[in-house]
Amino acid sequence: MDALNEINRRTFLSRTSLGLGAVALGSLMSSEAAPSTGPMGPHFHGKAKRVIFLCMAGGPSHLETFDFKPKLKEMDGKPMPVSYTKGQPIAQLQGQRLRCLGPQFEFHRHGKSGQQIADIIPHIASIADDIAIIRSMHTDQINHDPAHTVMNTGISISGRPSMGAWVNYGLGSDSTDLPGFVVLESEGGRNPQPIASRQWGTGFLPRRYQGVQFFSKGDPVHYVKPPAGVNLVQQRGLVDAVRSLNQIRNQSVLNPEIETRIAQYELAFRMQTSVPDLMDLSDEPQHILEMYGTKGADGSFAANCLLARRLAERGVRFIHLYHRGWDHHGDLVPYMNTCCRLCDGPSAALVRDLKQRGMLDDTLVVWGGEFGRTPMFQGKGKKPGRDHHMRAFSMWLAGGGIKGGVTYGTTDDLGYFVTENKVHIRDLHATMLHLLGINHQHFTHKFQGLDYRLTGVEEARVVNEILV
Amino acid sequence: MALRTNLDRVSKSSTRNPIHQDIQVADGSLAPILVVLLSCCCAAAQDAIQFNRHIRPILSDNCFKCHGPDEHQRKAKLRFDTEGGARAELKHGRAIVPGTPEQSLMMSRLTADDAEERMPPPETGKELTPAQIRLIRDWIKQGAKYQEHWAYVPPKPANTTVAKDVRPGLPGIPRLKWASNEIDRLIQARLESEGLKLSPKADRITLIRRLSFDLTGLPPSTKEVDDYFMSDRSTKAYEKFVDRLLQSQHYGERMAIYWLDLVRYADTVGYHGDQDHAISPFRDYVIKAFNDNMPFDQFTREQLAGDLLPNPTINQRVATGYNRLLQTSHEGGVQKKEYLAKYSADRVRNFSGVWLGATMGCAECHDHKYDPFTQKDFYSLAAFFADVDDNRTFRGTNSLPTKREPEMRVLSEKDAASLAQLKARQKQLKKKKLPKPGEQIEEEDLKSREQELKKVEAEIRRLKAKEERTMVTVSIKPRDIRVLKRGDWMDTSGEVVQPAVPKFLKGIQTKGRATRLDLAKWLTSPNNPLTARVFMNRLWYLFFGVGLSKNLDDLGSQGEWPTHPQLLEHLAVQFMASGWNVREMVKMLVMTKTYKQSSLDSPRLRELDPENRLFAKQSRFRLPAEMIRDNVLAVSGLLNRKFGGKPARPYQPAGYYRPLNFPRRTYKPDTNINQYRRGVYIHWQRQFLHPMLRAFDAPSREECTAQRPSSNTPLAALTTLNDPTFVEAARAFAARILEEGGKNVAEKIRWAWREALSRPPSESEQKIAANLYQTNHAVYAKDTAAAEKLLKVGMAPVPSEINRTELAAWTAVSRAVFNLNEIITRN
Repeated sequence: MDALNEINRRTFLSRTSLGLGAVALGSLMSSEAAPSTGPMGPHFHGKAKRVIFLCMAGGPSHLETFDFKPKLKEMDGKPMPVSYTKGQPIAQLQGQRLRCLGPQFEFHRHGKSGQQIADIIPHIASIADDIAIIRSMHTDQINHDPAHTVMNTGISISGRPSMGAWVNYGLGSDSTDLPGFVVLESEGGRNPQPIASRQWGTGFLPRRYQGVQFFSKGDPVHYVKPPAGVNLVQQRGLVDAVRSLNQIRNQSVLNPEIETRIAQYELAFRMQTSVPDLMDLSDEPQHILEMYGTKGADGSFAANCLLARRLAERGVRFIHLYHRGWDHHGDLVPYMNTCCRLCDGPSAALVRDLKQRGMLDDTLVVWGGEFGRTPMFQGKGKKPGRDHHMRAFSMWLAGGGIKGGVTYGTTDDLGYFVTENKVHIRDLHATMLHLLGINHQHFTHKFQGLDYRLTGVEEARVVNEILV
Repeated sequence: MALRTNLDRVSKSSTRNPIHQDIQVADGSLAPILVVLLSCCCAAAQDAIQFNRHIRPILSDNCFKCHGPDEHQRKAKLRFDTEGGARAELKHGRAIVPGTPEQSLMMSRLTADDAEERMPPPETGKELTPAQIRLIRDWIKQGAKYQEHWAYVPPKPANTTVAKDVRPGLPGIPRLKWASNEIDRLIQARLESEGLKLSPKADRITLIRRLSFDLTGLPPSTKEVDDYFMSDRSTKAYEKFVDRLLQSQHYGERMAIYWLDLVRYADTVGYHGDQDHAISPFRDYVIKAFNDNMPFDQFTREQLAGDLLPNPTINQRVATGYNRLLQTSHEGGVQKKEYLAKYSADRVRNFSGVWLGATMGCAECHDHKYDPFTQKDFYSLAAFFADVDDNRTFRGTNSLPTKREPEMRVLSEKDAASLAQLKARQKQLKKKKLPKPGEQIEEEDLKSREQELKKVEAEIRRLKAKEERTMVTVSIKPRDIRVLKRGDWMDTSGEVVQPAVPKFLKGIQTKGRATRLDLAKWLTSPNNPLTARVFMNRLWYLFFGVGLSKNLDDLGSQGEWPTHPQLLEHLAVQFMASGWNVREMVKMLVMTKTYKQSSLDSPRLRELDPENRLFAKQSRFRLPAEMIRDNVLAVSGLLNRKFGGKPARPYQPAGYYRPLNFPRRTYKPDTNINQYRRGVYIHWQRQFLHPMLRAFDAPSREECTAQRPSSNTPLAALTTLNDPTFVEAARAFAARILEEGGKNVAEKIRWAWREALSRPPSESEQKIAANLYQTNHAVYAKDTAAAEKLLKVGMAPVPSEINRTELAAWTAVSRAVFNLNEIITRN
């Protein structure tokens, strides 16, 4: 980046008062060619300042969580009516005889709002009044990998920017010593879903907006620890020496890139302490650890939920958790038991914890998988299971301007198709951006000659009905 | 947001309309640019306005989306991408009446106060500047003449008399020299018109380092630097050095880095389980093709259609791996028809990106919004690849590597030759073994033959074990390719199409169905307007830091009018005239004065030409990821310069592949000298690219990449600080410093600087390095355990005779050197 553009951007940032607060070093000091690569700032005042996305990778069954289908119960074991499945894409059940599988769990009404939620997720049920359930989600892809790609980037072609990258590109990070987009993963339940790092990639957006994966084992961030046999004082000395040497060189070559690099080394050095501090849960009181159901940063979904809150407190803009156990082609009940035991409590605890700290108002929490599951039986494993399903599934959102206690959208009697108030993933994206103060139609980046948007070329709408 | 809008406008202007022909007016806060802009405004107003240069970019960006090539989206039956369309009689009159802006509906709509009337509609977020509107008015006044899009007309040199002289070379001037001079002439002419001139020649150290990285991706050795300084200062020495680098096997490795990005070469399947697939012989083919200076037209034919050549050689079949480089899946539940459609589209996207510099991806679902590519064109191109056998890919296995038949087994040329010999001998020996009835054979003789046979057979087995599998193209009966409405693979109502190139380009004449080979030949036929331009624009970018048309993956309507149109024509014409000689083109570029300039900035230049679009200096940029690695390995002495072979696996953080499954995998870093191979050979895991490569912007190679971003992030800093590869290289370099660097600290520092940076340190640099050495020495003298720990990073042995405290302390100095901005920068 040349100095002139840098000055322009700084001028822009200093002249802009959009309630953004101090713009973080990480987003400001980085270089990359075009002047338009700095954070844009919101279009209008958004209720949400950050997002925590709890991705249940593999595709949890909507029929066993948020979308109760008594009719399907009646049809249990009977052939699936051809009128539903004719001409429809089918994944693993291709060429097989299709029959119905009734819901495997009971549903009850919860909270003042009386939201209908399955018994298998009692903790989420206990926050029914804080969450808006969407039963009418649908997507374009029936296999995991491309379906995740659609969920994260709005399109199934690999390599486009993910929503976390978009949001950081738009708003920058509020953290001065952590990246603006952090990813954590956990497993448990069925043979874990693979997740590609492209799901938190930046595509054609500047690289500094990419998600950074944090790990509970080994270095919490790649290469964040000084080499063996080098203590932090020595490392500081090294970074200082590099800075001085760079500065000397810069007197003769006048390369603005050098100044940027010096700043990046400072941030890198700070990360060497800030990241381990973040990951160390020993300063959390016992009752909080118990609330989440974790003993420490052990790589569990529970620990990751707690880390998500800590990241949110430290100004990280987009926090994405993956739990990779939700692909239940067979043994649906035992696997749901495991997944829900691991994810139900911590998900609810996160919402509660944010609420008690007054952070839920400006933190948007999103919960769901890349697609849902078929009303049809699948017999992989000892007990019944369900196949991938893209025509209908459920998600919930909380905080950050979301109206609690609402159920939105309906599916047909068997939970196959959405019948009312369809919400495509691009509508979800439009809604999330809206809550962050961004008009998705005007949030673009030039790519291959197009003004490219997260929400793509097709019509997308903000789901106003679930907003406060 | 007002200011933001302005920033956007300036950024747009700098992406598409190089500053000096830009007519847009920016906000007052950007005064320095403004001065330049204004001066060109006047120039443009006086000169005849050219459609391609001045008008098309405005119309394309603001109007084509609704009034362009896509007839399904076209509003009011009005199109501005053709002259006829713009002048057509509509309900209320004509959009453009040549000569009379007052009667042109376009003008009244552009300037309407009423938001309902105004174009472009405010909700599009598009808005023309007053200067743009003035320009359109003047253009209509001048007759509103259209021109064919520049990149769709076969390249012709501007001055035909010169052109005639090009090929034989001017009397007394060799062709290449003439061609290089012509580049300088065109660059200088443009600079002069802006009141600028070329920067002085770079100093010799910069030049030798620039050439080394640009042509081989490696730093010069100290001896090379010394030799160069000993040589005379004439151009001859420079040329000799260039020739030497171009003959080095590392030249091919360097060029391959770029080509492999384009064709999206990777060692794994990309989708879902991201298993390894067998393809590395293709990578070696590419490197070898550059090293052998295979003509680009042949290189094109072999990759796209080597299997269709008469009696294809093994190499030509390996080359067809190109058609197999796409992402594939055998995930349970994959619907074959859907994935065949995905593969089809993937191939068209890549093919058009690599050779046509076109962004055809959108035409999978609808006609292109800016260029005359129709949806039918997209599927007609897909039909060329309809014979590629993909059927067996669905039967992949959850193994490492997985199976992606059809595959073939290959050996290196040398090994293949020995194997053939051995097999012949085996046959001979076996024949002789059985004596004819009544024939007497000496027992001794028989024994020795048996022994030889045993040996031969063992050797055959040894060679066979070296065979590598690689995916290749096998042609089968082409499946039907239909136009898929809105790209929906389940919709079978679209028409079945035959292989054909985009209709607006000059087509292929064949009897019967056109093949991939026809397609490949068409790409490099003299009438093809794109291939040579696209390639030379990219080659220019590699050696000058920015393309002549900046958008390397789009020479279409939304691409950029080149900063030096004549120069790009010149390059394209030269490339074709040379017989598609890549090495000659590279030499032509690096022999120019323009190339040899200093890359130092002046405040004035930075102000006038912040992106260095006029080339009044060389560009400086961060090295590509692979070279950053290769550089420290070379300096440390650890680099393994072996050519080709299986993917290399450098150290990588444990658990990095945890999110992968089917099967689960544990990364096993190489424990032999494969650990130290060049970056181009690193195992390319699409879903989890090696963190070092990722930190320095290497792409995942899921799609065609013509230009990597160049980021500057804390993750990159952490990598060079702490990645074991860099720490190990630092301690290996430290050992060299101690062994070869001289007697005292000052001498050692001096030696280290010369080895790593090809220059001596300044006095203040000396001081800082010495200080770093001493503080670390003090620490390690007290804490020998810490020194031991540091020296255990990486697997390279520590020379036993070396003092551990010294070594650890010098490792600190080496790490500092390996973290300098200078060492990762090409100046």
